[in-house]
Order: sequence, then structure tokens, then C-alpha cells
Amino acid sequence: MRNSRKVAKWEIKRNMKNKSYLIGLFLTPLLMILGFTLPGLFSSDDDNSELTQVYIHDELNLYTDIESIVEEVGFNWQLSKTDLSEEEAAAAALEDSENTAYLFLNEQVLTDGVVPVYTSEEIDVAFMNEVQFLTTPLQTLQLEQLGLSVEQLAMVSNGVVFEEISTEESEAETGEAGLETASPEEFLERIVPGAFAGIIFISIVFTGMAIFQSASQEKKDKIAEIILSSITPTELMQGKIIGYFILGLIQVAVLLVFLVPLVIWKFDMPIMEYLLVPETLLLSVVALLGYLLFAAIFVGIGATMSDMTTAGNFQGFVMMLPFLPFAFIGPVIGNPSGLIAQIGTYIPFSSPGVMILRLSMLEEWPWIEIIIGLAILLISIWLCMKLAGKIFKVGILMYGKNASPAEIWKWIRA
Amino acid sequence: MEIMLSIDGLEKSFKDKKVLHNISFEVRKGEIMAILGPNGAGKSTTIRNIMGIMYPDAGSITFHNYKGNEIPRHKIGYLPEERGLYKNVKVMDILLYLADLKDYPLDKAKERILMYLKKFDLEGKEKVSIEELSKGMGQKVQFIGSILHEPELLILDEPFSGLDPVSQELFKEEIRSLADQGTAILLSSHQMNLVEEMCDRLFMIQKGHKVIYGTLDEVKTEYANFKCTINGRNQLQDLEAIADVERVEQHDNSATLYLSKNVNPSKWLRSLPEHLVINELKMNRVSLHEIFIDIATGKNLLQEAGASDA
Repeated sequence: MRNSRKVAKWEIKRNMKNKSYLIGLFLTPLLMILGFTLPGLFSSDDDNSELTQVYIHDELNLYTDIESIVEEVGFNWQLSKTDLSEEEAAAAALEDSENTAYLFLNEQVLTDGVVPVYTSEEIDVAFMNEVQFLTTPLQTLQLEQLGLSVEQLAMVSNGVVFEEISTEESEAETGEAGLETASPEEFLERIVPGAFAGIIFISIVFTGMAIFQSASQEKKDKIAEIILSSITPTELMQGKIIGYFILGLIQVAVLLVFLVPLVIWKFDMPIMEYLLVPETLLLSVVALLGYLLFAAIFVGIGATMSDMTTAGNFQGFVMMLPFLPFAFIGPVIGNPSGLIAQIGTYIPFSSPGVMILRLSMLEEWPWIEIIIGLAILLISIWLCMKLAGKIFKVGILMYGKNASPAEIWKWIRA
Repeated sequence: MEIMLSIDGLEKSFKDKKVLHNISFEVRKGEIMAILGPNGAGKSTTIRNIMGIMYPDAGSITFHNYKGNEIPRHKIGYLPEERGLYKNVKVMDILLYLADLKDYPLDKAKERILMYLKKFDLEGKEKVSIEELSKGMGQKVQFIGSILHEPELLILDEPFSGLDPVSQELFKEEIRSLADQGTAILLSSHQMNLVEEMCDRLFMIQKGHKVIYGTLDEVKTEYANFKCTINGRNQLQDLEAIADVERVEQHDNSATLYLSKNVNPSKWLRSLPEHLVINELKMNRVSLHEIFIDIATGKNLLQEAGASDA
């Protein structure tokens, strides 16, 4: 075990000094952040250009009302008063750059009920919808002009205003306090540990693929024999598995350092609260088991190959195994406790992925299935480690050629 | 001299082909023991079995002075035939890693690394990445890696292959001085001239069988008969008619006469017929190199020698 630790330390150190690893380490979260923010960036870019210059020719003294409405609803408007006449405004709007609108609020509006709006050629598509919000104060004013009594006015305007306020309020609340309904929150509560475990799983499995690289590189560099003159093949293999596991965790840590603040900032949810629950622990264990399974497979297969580029069909097929859970994503999301989901739980190669996915979706955990799935997984890991050990021992010293499945079978039986 | 390693009755088969037949020898403290043989004779297989990289089908490998069945890896230095080091790491880093795997104190290792780098003309290269080194430099680094932890037993598989004469000389000196300091050294080679100059004892192997085993002097007196090279045009039958001549190789104006074992050189010289044309005459023992080539090409000079011996 001491020697395994040394190997692990070496693999970590070697990778940490390797530029391509470091680039990958920070590129992954960067890509994720980009994935998160890029659509947002584009829309917020739009927001910036969408900043609509709204000039109001206000003869009805509604400017302050409009200002408060705009502020409340959160339109991206830059309000200002104007004294331009309609003709001047029309000309100005045409000449003017983008996203400019002129509203004319005069006595005629109250009688006709039509507000002349002059806009520049380029204007945010939502503008004409947004402008409808301004009907409220106008209608109120209209009704006032009709000389209704205060009670009548209140009644009528209530009737009109009621719906509008309610939409305004709910919109405002969404912005401020988040969804208040219970079910989405529960959903988040489940999905956060699941997503966390998923990130761990994917990160360490991908880092685990580097084990494969490392094992076949060891062969290619022909250094295995020197290393094996100091330690046993088992120690070397264990060291690699541990080393890359820690490298995977480093990747996860870097990812979380970038991701958690982003998620908190972007979605404004108490992510830590959802994360620090017992479910996270179980899901993380599942992710860890998944890693061990694939690490064993990769280290074994890596030892049979002298070169990544000469991978045979057999090796290529094995390399695809971690992607097996993707085949189950559709059916599992469709029915998390269905037959396909159960089958996915019992196949060791898809089990970790499917289990993480199911458990983050199901409210009631099917404990029996979980236990059976875990048991199958554990047995598979033990078996794969054993086989990988046998393959590794012979394969790592076979220079210059790839092992055929027949040869590998012979080593396993030996 | 104290025996460090004994090999007894080693047998190994790959698939159905037996590649080692009853190989037995020992390595003693402070001596250079050479395993010689043509390519594919079983040298590396023997060494890999010793190192526990392969497991013999039969026979025993005993490391003396050590208890238990484990190979005392920390006391052994090993330079494999297949040369290689991690590509994208620094010389110092990899040497320290190798020392660490041998449980050698790192501060001491660092000192020794710098000392050896200087000795092998690699001073200032400790921060250079392995991939930037030439093949010979890489081999030196690897050699340093195998002796860094002051092994008691040093096993070198073809240490001289691929080295230029200057580096060969350097390696030779270092190996010799390690032996003088008490390290037991087992090396394999097919470069006879080098081995002849430095080894104390040798084990010659052909197709997995022992051919010769003994000290260099023993082997030479036992197997290396005298040969006489004569420059001058002579008739083949005249040469063959001379007493104690077993075989004649004639090229143009020069002929090499292989003499039988137990010949007395001065007596034999006196017995040369007077009519022979001799512009130049050279008399020496058949070199290890020639024995080796004879074995490898299957001329079986040795068996003749063995037969006449019997």
C-alpha cells in the first residue's frame, strides 16, 4: 500500500506539472460556465441593445405613473420626456439609431383610445407588448374624464385593473422570491444531490479514462519494467487507480469552485442546503463505485494496448462502456421506476449512471432495487479488479503490439 | 567470495516452446558475472525471471542474506533491455521517483543524482525534460536510476547496446568500480570484446541451454584453443598437414590455423615445415568473440573442442 501511495503521488504530481492536464482542468469548468452563461450572455447582450429609448410627449401628467410601472415590471426602458411634435418625432425616429420609440399622450388619446407610437426601424419585438402595460393608467384617466363617481370609478377600474395587477405581482414575485410552490422546490431538493453526484461521476470517469492513457503510455515508454523492478504490478495498478481518482476529485473540486457560485448567482437557490443531505452521500458512493469499476476496466485495457491509435474493435468497444448509461437516459426520465430503468440498475456498466439519474427523480427510493444494484456493482468491481490485475501484469510488459482478445483470455485464465 | 544470488535449475516455456533448460549459476559479491549469448538465447528471459517480472516453471532463485520469499527489490538495481523513461518529466523528478520507489532517502538521492549527472557528462541537465535528451543521454539517466540507491546486486541487461565508445568506456569504468566496492553485478551482453575486458566469470547460453560456465581464465584455457595466423601464400594441403591443426581458414594470402587443445605453442612453432612462406605470423587464443560467433552460427567449434576433450 505504501508503494501504491507513492505511485499515486507520482501520477498526481506528473499530471499537475503537465500543461495539457492543467489546461483541461480549468477548461472543463470554463466550458461549463460558458454553456451556462453563453445563452444568458447573448440574451443580456440583447438586453443591452434592447435598452429602448422611450420618449414620452406627456400632456396628461402620467410620466411618473409610467415611470413607476416600468420600474415595477422591469422593462428595459430608458424613459425621458420630449417636447417634440409628432411630425418631428416621426422624422427623428426614422433617422434615429435603433430601439427608440416616441409615445404621444395627449387629450386625443383619452377620447380616441389610441396612443400614437413612433418607433425606429429596429425595435425590440417585445416592445409593442410591453407598451400595453401602460393602458392601465390611461384607462383610469379615461374613466376619470368620463366623470364617473369615485365609487363607480373604483369599481370599473378595479375590474380592469385587477387582472393586470395580479400579473404584475406574480411577475414581480418570481423575480424576487423564487417559486413559492412546493413541488419545484422538492424537485430541486432531489435534483441537486443527483446533479452533484452526476458531476462527480462524469468527472472522475473522464479523468479515469486518463488511466487508460497512462497505462498504455507506460507500455509505450517502456518504463514499466523499471518500475516493476521496484514494486509489484498490483501496487502499480492500485497506485494508478488511486492517483487518477484523486486527480478526478481535484477536477470535481475545481469544477465546484467555479460552478457553485455561478449557480447561486444565476438561479439564486440555496444550493448548499440542498447539497448537504444524506442523499448526496449515497449518490456520491454510487459515483465512486462507478469510478472504481471503470478504472479497473481502463487500467486493464490500457495495459493491452501499445498505442491509443491502434485500438482494435475490442478495445474500442470496451472504451464505450461508460457511455452505456446514456442509452438509458430517455426511458429512465420517461419512467424512473419502469422496467428499463430497473434493467439499467442491474447492469453493472450502466448501473451507476442510471442509479444516480433514477434516485434524483424518484421521490420514494426503491431500496431493494438500490441494494441489489449496489451488490451487483460491488461484485462486478471485485471481479473487474481481479481480471484487470491479471491482464495488467502480463500486458504492461508486452511491448510493441496490442494483445488480441484471445491472448487476453489466456492471461485471465492463467 | 560471498554468494549473493543463486539460480538453480531454471526452466521456462512460452506456449509449447521451452526457452530455458536447466539454467544454474550464481553471482558473488564484488564480481562481474556475464550472461552471454546471441539474440534470442534466453538472456533477458533469465533476467526477467530473476527480477520476478516473469515466473519460472521450475527451478529456484535464491537471494542470499534475505529472509522470506519476497524478492529484495530495494537492494537490487535493474537496467532492463527495453529502454524507456516517462517522456514529459524532468530528469531530476524521475530519478527521485525511482529512488523513492526503492525507499532510498531523497536528500541523499538528490546528492547522488547530481554527482552522477556530473560524472556522466550530464551536468546541468537535471531540469531538462526526458524527451529532450538524446538516446544515449536517456540511457545514462536510466543507468543512474538503476545504481542510485546503492544496490547490493546490480542486474544490467545489455548495458552497452546503443552507446558510443566514449560512453561505453564510462559505463565500463563505473561498473568495474561498483564491483570493486562490493556490488555483485550480473550483466548480459552480446558484445564479447567488452565483456572479455571486464567480466570475472561468464555464463554462455545458446537456445536456452548452458554452453559455458566458469571464470574468464578457465573458459579461455578450457575452450579458447590457440590459433595461428600466417601471412604468406601457402598450399592448403601443406597447412592442413601440419600437426595439431584442426581447421584452416584461408583468405588470399593469409591463413588461420585452428590448433587442437593442449598444444604446446613453442613446440608447435618449431614443428612448422621450413618451406612455408611466412611474411608475418601471429599466435593467440581464440577470442570469446570467435567462440560466440561459432556458437551463434552453429559451427560448433566448441563441441569439437568438447569432443576432443572427452
